[in-house]
Amino acid sequence: MSEYLSVLIFAVTGAAIVLFTFFISKLIRPHNPYPEKGVTYECAEDAIGDSWIRFNPRFYIFALIFVIFDVEVIFLFPWAVAFGELGLFALVEMVIFILILFFGLFYAWKKGVLKWV
Amino acid sequence: MVDYVSALSIDFNLIWPEIALLIGASVILLGSISKSFRPVIPAVALISCIVAMLLASQQWGHQGSGFADMVTCDNFGVMFKQIFLIASIVTLFLGFRYLKVKGLNRPEYYALILFSTAGMMVMANTADLVVMFLGLEIMSLPLYVLAGFNRRSLESSEAGIKYFLMGAFATAFLLMGIAFIYGAAETTNLRRIVTNFSYIAYDYNSTAIYFYSGIALTLIGFGFKIAAVPFHSWVPDVYQGAPTPVTAFFSVAPKAAGFAVMLRIFVFGLSGVELLTTAFWVLAVLTMSVGNILALRQDNVKRMLAYSSISHAGYILVAMTVGGADAVSSAIFYLVAYTMFNLGAFAVVTVMETRSGCRSEFSELTGLSKVHPYLAAILALFMFALSGFPPTAGFLGKFYIFSAAVHKGFIWLAVIGVMNSFVSVYYYLRVIKTAYFDEVKGKVTPVVLSPTVIIALIITALGTLGLGFFPQQLLEFSQAAIFGMP
Amino acid sequence: MLEIIIIGTLKVIAVVVVVLTCCAYSTLLERKVLAYMQHRLGPIYAGPWGLMQPIADGIKLMFKEDIVPDRSERLMFMLAPIVSFIPALLVFAVVPFSSDFSMFGYEIKGVLSDLNIGVLYIFAITSLSVYGLVLAGWSSGSKYSLLGGIRSSAQMISYELSYGLSIVGVILFANTLSMTEIVNQQASFWDMFIFRQPLAFLLFLTCGIAETNRLPFDLPECESELAAGYHTEYSSMRFATFFVAEYGYMLAVSSVATTLFLGGWQGPFLPPVIWFLIKVFGFMFFYIWLRATFPRFRYDQLMAFGWKVLFPLALANTMGTALWVLLTDSVN
Repeated sequence: MSEYLSVLIFAVTGAAIVLFTFFISKLIRPHNPYPEKGVTYECAEDAIGDSWIRFNPRFYIFALIFVIFDVEVIFLFPWAVAFGELGLFALVEMVIFILILFFGLFYAWKKGVLKWV
Repeated sequence: MVDYVSALSIDFNLIWPEIALLIGASVILLGSISKSFRPVIPAVALISCIVAMLLASQQWGHQGSGFADMVTCDNFGVMFKQIFLIASIVTLFLGFRYLKVKGLNRPEYYALILFSTAGMMVMANTADLVVMFLGLEIMSLPLYVLAGFNRRSLESSEAGIKYFLMGAFATAFLLMGIAFIYGAAETTNLRRIVTNFSYIAYDYNSTAIYFYSGIALTLIGFGFKIAAVPFHSWVPDVYQGAPTPVTAFFSVAPKAAGFAVMLRIFVFGLSGVELLTTAFWVLAVLTMSVGNILALRQDNVKRMLAYSSISHAGYILVAMTVGGADAVSSAIFYLVAYTMFNLGAFAVVTVMETRSGCRSEFSELTGLSKVHPYLAAILALFMFALSGFPPTAGFLGKFYIFSAAVHKGFIWLAVIGVMNSFVSVYYYLRVIKTAYFDEVKGKVTPVVLSPTVIIALIITALGTLGLGFFPQQLLEFSQAAIFGMP
Repeated sequence: MLEIIIIGTLKVIAVVVVVLTCCAYSTLLERKVLAYMQHRLGPIYAGPWGLMQPIADGIKLMFKEDIVPDRSERLMFMLAPIVSFIPALLVFAVVPFSSDFSMFGYEIKGVLSDLNIGVLYIFAITSLSVYGLVLAGWSSGSKYSLLGGIRSSAQMISYELSYGLSIVGVILFANTLSMTEIVNQQASFWDMFIFRQPLAFLLFLTCGIAETNRLPFDLPECESELAAGYHTEYSSMRFATFFVAEYGYMLAVSSVATTLFLGGWQGPFLPPVIWFLIKVFGFMFFYIWLRATFPRFRYDQLMAFGWKVLFPLALANTMGTALWVLLTDSVN
């Protein structure tokens, strides 16, 4: 448990240092906002329209594929650790598992999902 | 080195049918990439279904479990597997021409049907709640896509989104329920839950509360899947919006899968919970009545059939309320019969819908008897079966269920059921009236009957009539299916 | 117990200070190296060879006004730099920077926290860093920032797969997830995992560059089209935090690469910490070298490279390694 405790201390220290510098900087920096300063940067022109624009839905598809394969990768970690004891059986099982997922990737690939237009 | 194959009791004989389907689906998906492979895709789908069917029949009579007790093989599961496979075969036949006409002829249709069927088979083939959930997801995800398969159509997209949202919502309930049951019973294996049940349920402390709330949440989750009232609100829109062959599949296969699991969990497993009988009583009455009453007012055949499928779930819930070997075997009989005539009814609707601009309103049925006497006759047959006239399978199914109810003393339930059947006669006969007697306005566009659809119609019509005339064989099968269940 | 906490806290503070100093001087290193590669001198006025430059930069940024754009989501805008900084720092919690040593009569471990799931921890923490960028991009209320944030998330998740898979190859040999254990297994020169997993090393390096959004994969920032991407709207210390986070993250990837593939602090003659720093800064130099050499990828090339080249390669490498391990095991 103490191992995780030191990770926690580490995180807290890191956050504290950042906040501390923010605090110091707040004390010494000027504060003089006026409307022109608060304008969103858009190459020195007035910003047109809403900032939360629509973007390419392809990003979602990539995110979906990612989720599938990330789970696979996480699954590989414990498998790799225990591989020495598991032997051939584990290899065959994992090859089947990966092949199935790879079929999925191949299908997506050939269907043009991975193509960035 | 440990021998993991025997340590985990890996026995592929238990899951060959599922594997056959999955291989078929993968081959279709991979093959869909090459243009020259496309024409054979329906054949591949059909062959893998038939192979799965044969493999599943090999399992008949074998009792066994494997994969660390995650997979259970028994006659009950095999029976349901056959129901799913029949449904998917008929759906494959139905889809062939319909998809071409509607411009939806994409190979994914066949693959998704196969994947979904494999999921149902996983559901029927296990006595472990987690694996059941896994099967449910394998079944549902392709169905969400299938509902929105016609993505150029607003209605179909709406159906897809609606089904997905409601399904995901129900899944959350189900998962929460499984978590509660796991917390109370300390296992997800149904058999061990039943063994632990005696001291959980009568132990009036917090454990029992968790257990009962788990059961309630699970019931809600499956209630969505079988479209029991009050969890039915998604049904009409989804059934109407989805492509018609898919709707046919929806109305039969996922429902049967839901019932398979519910029978296993609630009727065989937790038969000792008295509260469940009350809950099922209420569910059954609500489902029958609401489904039938709402169906009366529909002007769209697909919507009418959607509500009618709700009410039919109600009849099967009657059997679940009653419990016991007679009722369950009659429920299985009814499910098989229902699969036949409901698929048949949807097959006729599918054929009608292949005409351009057809939206399967009642008015579009007029003049059918003049142009297509055989099709009209077969439609009439399915409508008679749905409303439960002899000598069709519909009559016998209802008869077995209600007589089981009366034998066990559920007189009122039987009375309400029979009264509901009378109500349903009105709207089923309205279809026949429109097809035979209504005046034809303008010209009737003839429909094209493709060989595949004819095969589907023949299968379902023969099933409907055959089960009506010779029910004995199927009854024996369904009795054998529940023989030896706990 | 109290002793342990005090030592632990002191160690934490020491590591944090060292990491932050390294981050600061990495910026100087980058400017100097780039300058020399381009026949310039780089910073020379602040201190000898510009050694005071990072400090001068820091002080200057501290005195700058902190502008929060009107259109931004204030809370998220303020939190984003911290969210992106903490994961970069947290990686160092499990990186063994030295062998165990004794100081003032206490036995001190050469690592802050020897988690038995160290590698998994790193994988988890590094994937958190994308949140900072996405939050920053989304909350700024600027189109450039939004696009930068979205791009970076897509890029990072695409390369994370190969990143994770390249580590699996090492674990297959090491049979452990503990970083300390992995370093111990690379005691001699030829035991270093780079020799047993050369392909994985290359994959790890490439993905590491993409994960840290460095050239040639710096699409999220991409001055020429996105005007600095997710931190377009940031100024003052918040901007500095992003900057430090980016360099911290580079250092983190370098030290993980050092640990997994180059034997960590192992090395002859010199003290272990020095060896560790030499290896890490070797990687840092490599990063800067790349920046001076390569032009930026196009976005579609970047995604295609990640999914169609790196990912299949990483999968093949994993399976091949597994087979290799199995065969050599059965021979023994």
